Amino acid sequence: MKDDTPASLDEELAKLAREISPPRDLWPGVVRGIVREPRHTPPLASAPWMAYAASVAALCLAAALIWVMVYGRPPLSASGPATAANPAVIGAVPLPPGVRPEPSPGVGASFGEPSDAHYLAARAELERTFNQRLKQLDPATRAKIEADLVSIRQARDDIAKALAAQPDSPVLEQLLASALHDEFDLYDDVVRTTQPNART
Amino acid sequence: MGSVKHLHLADIGDEDVEPTAVIAAAGEGDLAAFEALYRRFAPRLYGLCLRLTGQREAAEDCVQESFVAAWRGLGRFEKRSRFSTWLQRIAIRTVISRRRGLRNAHEVGEPAAGLPDRPDPGGGAPPLDLERAIAALPEGARDVLVLVGIYGYSHAEAASALGVAEGTCKAQLHRARALLSAALGLEGS
Repeated sequence: MKDDTPASLDEELAKLAREISPPRDLWPGVVRGIVREPRHTPPLASAPWMAYAASVAALCLAAALIWVMVYGRPPLSASGPATAANPAVIGAVPLPPGVRPEPSPGVGASFGEPSDAHYLAARAELERTFNQRLKQLDPATRAKIEADLVSIRQARDDIAKALAAQPDSPVLEQLLASALHDEFDLYDDVVRTTQPNART
Repeated sequence: MGSVKHLHLADIGDEDVEPTAVIAAAGEGDLAAFEALYRRFAPRLYGLCLRLTGQREAAEDCVQESFVAAWRGLGRFEKRSRFSTWLQRIAIRTVISRRRGLRNAHEVGEPAAGLPDRPDPGGGAPPLDLERAIAALPEGARDVLVLVGIYGYSHAEAASALGVAEGTCKAQLHRARALLSAALGLEGS
């Protein structure tokens, strides 16, 4: 290509720094984007019969978790709705004997993970169900889901550490809440899509 | 589930050496490793995005979107190119995509509205008149000048990254140089 541009222009262009430091730290925004849109998990095997069971299970699971987080006990009374009271479907468990339902300190006041017995029991059961169902999946899908879970947990832990250093940061609180929700969403996806046909 | 290594900025090492271990760890979901990659490559990506967009806020958004896209796509990084090259292509696509979106929304910003007010402390003293003249170039000419003139792309690479023909790329570079020479009062314009 014929180029009659003076050499001085090329020299001036060559002087320009290729790297320019951003005026602010953009990493928190990157983390926020990562937490909101975790790596793609391939769709799990699905079948028409699963649609109803999945929607019911998802509804029950969400309701149970919200109930536990807000009221401190899962909706498991004998007079409650049959679907919501079925621990095998919703992944929630009755309170351990002798454990009294009490208001959950910190729940509602913070986006951090609650530490009361009801929540922890429900969460443990959900994780147990998730791990059982995960074993039913083919190795490739399982590996991808496990990788996604590692990403989410790593993000959650990093955000929690940052929040410990900056406890008044609303942005970090929101990020932590998003990470926790993503973790539950992943559990929920696996539990829903591997729901046994016999339950319907 | 394999163990997740925690690698940090020190593991990135020499900028000319591809940080393969850190890239692999990030690909396996290690966010700390990915942050190390961010710390290493963000200035380069920000410089590129700032020059392509001509606006600080747009450049910041593009850098963040590019790293999020890179995180999601790390599993597909095939090491056929350098990581920085792969990252820059993501950034270029992000800028172009954002530009199309803004055009659809009739919200194209003023060029040169966000260039640094003072030279980057880590990068010597960039001639700001030249930076502003570049930011004021028409988009097509600016894109090619930035990629070929500043970031060392070949015409074929720039054409591929921008989605234009190589001949268009050469013509735009010629146009950009002529406009810049005139704007800066250099001889031969």
